[in-house]
Amino acid sequence: MGNDSWAIAAEDLRKYYGQTKAVDGITLRVKEGEIFGMLGPNGAGKSTTIEMIEGLRAPDSGTITVLGLRQPQESRAIKMRIGIQLQTTALYPRLTVTEILDLFHTFYRGRKTLPTDQLIEMVDLGEKRTTRSKELSGGQRQRLSVALALVNDADLVFLDEPTTGMDPQARRQLWDVIRNLQQQGKTILLTTHYLEEAEQLCDRVAIVDHGRIIEMGSPSELVHRYFSEIAISFSDPAGADPYRSLDGVTHVSVEDGRVTLYSSDVLHTMGGLLGRQNGGGVGTALRDLNVHSATLEDVFLKLTGRALRD
Amino acid sequence: MVTIRNLYIASIKEFVRDRAAIFWTFAFPLVFIVLFGVIFNGGGSPNYTVGIVNEDGGPVGQALASAFKQVSSFKVQNGSRSDELDKLKKGQVDMVVVIPAGVSQSVTQQQTATVDLYDDPSTGQADTQIKQSIVQAKVSEFNKRATNTVPPLALQSNSILTHQVRSVDFLVPGILAMALMQLGLFGTATPLVTLRQEQVLRRLGATPLPRWQLLASQVLMRLTIALVQTGLILALSVWAFKVQIQGSILAVLALVILGAIAFISLGYLVAAISKTVDTANGITSVVNFPMMFLSGIFFPLAALPLFLTPIVRALPLTYLGDALRQIVTGGTPVFPMWVDLAVLAAWAFVCALLAVRLFKWE
Repeated sequence: MGNDSWAIAAEDLRKYYGQTKAVDGITLRVKEGEIFGMLGPNGAGKSTTIEMIEGLRAPDSGTITVLGLRQPQESRAIKMRIGIQLQTTALYPRLTVTEILDLFHTFYRGRKTLPTDQLIEMVDLGEKRTTRSKELSGGQRQRLSVALALVNDADLVFLDEPTTGMDPQARRQLWDVIRNLQQQGKTILLTTHYLEEAEQLCDRVAIVDHGRIIEMGSPSELVHRYFSEIAISFSDPAGADPYRSLDGVTHVSVEDGRVTLYSSDVLHTMGGLLGRQNGGGVGTALRDLNVHSATLEDVFLKLTGRALRD
Repeated sequence: MVTIRNLYIASIKEFVRDRAAIFWTFAFPLVFIVLFGVIFNGGGSPNYTVGIVNEDGGPVGQALASAFKQVSSFKVQNGSRSDELDKLKKGQVDMVVVIPAGVSQSVTQQQTATVDLYDDPSTGQADTQIKQSIVQAKVSEFNKRATNTVPPLALQSNSILTHQVRSVDFLVPGILAMALMQLGLFGTATPLVTLRQEQVLRRLGATPLPRWQLLASQVLMRLTIALVQTGLILALSVWAFKVQIQGSILAVLALVILGAIAFISLGYLVAAISKTVDTANGITSVVNFPMMFLSGIFFPLAALPLFLTPIVRALPLTYLGDALRQIVTGGTPVFPMWVDLAVLAAWAFVCALLAVRLFKWE
């Protein structure tokens, strides 16, 4: 498949700031109509990557093709067809929601734009349409920022941590908006550090750490690739060592006093665990016992040795 | 054009809804005018106590002395040279005019005679030029009549000056110049750096909007503000202080636009070299301060010590103030008009050029 048939084809992107390798050789291909997520902790290089693809930052090296157009030569044509939501929401503080959206319409002359009312409806800012942007709450401002990315009915939408600062209800609502965009045939590239968001929304995710992609695939693919096991987690300040020898345990991790056992034979592992508990042999008590299939969180933990937190 | 218009309207709305900006751009210069107008004018025309020492026994001395007596803003008292100079030192008179002995004789013999003028510039520097120019006008009027008419003694001077120079006439163009300078500094540099710092410029850069359109809309918006400022300042001056605008409105507007462009360019340059809002504020204050006091906008340049002359001549506000004074109230030129215009145009050009080269959008 040539680069033209991908919504995004980025080859070997690099961006160094002095000694810091913000992006250190990222290659990324996003299919048309797909929701692609870049997942990683703050400072992993997600935003720098996305901004290079958008054309807001020049890479030190690497090539980028967006919707069949090349960066940076065809940057303006690209900007006409993409929608961008920036991580830091920057707006005219004294203009109202409606005024800002109306203003942004005029930047896309010659392209069909979505009516302001419809945009306001989509991000549920109906009650705030005459509110000045500086008086909006963080979550509302974030929603306005998403609406601005949709003004030009973009073929490809970039969302950089779109749900940061939103309450759970608003977050779910935005997920619906994003799914709806996909149904309209749009491609979405988003970054997030919410694993749940990536699992819920993304067709494929790339796990990014230290400026590199360390794993890529659909969420379930990744989970299966790394975990055929079931995860059993509980709190034990004493640590994981006493549990390593239990039947079926293949792998153990500890994070903030929380022990997670990955078991290929959950019945035997649980049996052993409960038996020891009754015998008083190990630990104190199995507080907050939780048994679940592995998630992206577990994959991330396994790959980076760190938890990905809000 | 639609894009520029919409951006223009958006920036006007942003501005109008910013009360602090409104105060500093519109109310502040008006407060200045009212304050200075009342202090220096007492609400009416200025009054100077002038000691006239007539040592000339002849008709010319008499005629001159009575001519000064008829200047409405002069309260004349007569006395001996030593008495009057003593009073000047004590601040009891504002100026002493000495008509030396032999003036009449010199005039009848077609020789130049000298009238001496004593003034204490430390008391009221803004007034010095005014007092001197009145005397000057009086003397030249006298000369004119003396050379044209056979008997210089037939002088019947009732008309004073077609246009009388008062403190407020001196100040209004100066305050207008100050307002334009501050629009360029505080009204351009700081807001622009704020837009950049809060990444508004970055967000706009993520759209296909060409940068020149954003720039054009911003400059147009500031020129609009400059014209509104001018209108308000001149209206208040005419209404409250009976200032007579000498030049044509068109000339005033053209000069205001040139001046505004020069200082807006300077503002862009400051924004270009300032990374943060704090830096921008610091630089604008540092630039603002000497201009306020060394550009002759509140008092005549002649009152400044000579060693400051190079600074005075380097400041663009000097030229804008001078040009506005010439056009708005017909003040005495410090520089020829073409020099003023050329210097302002050069400042505008150089600052704009540097700003374009140095400005960072992110």
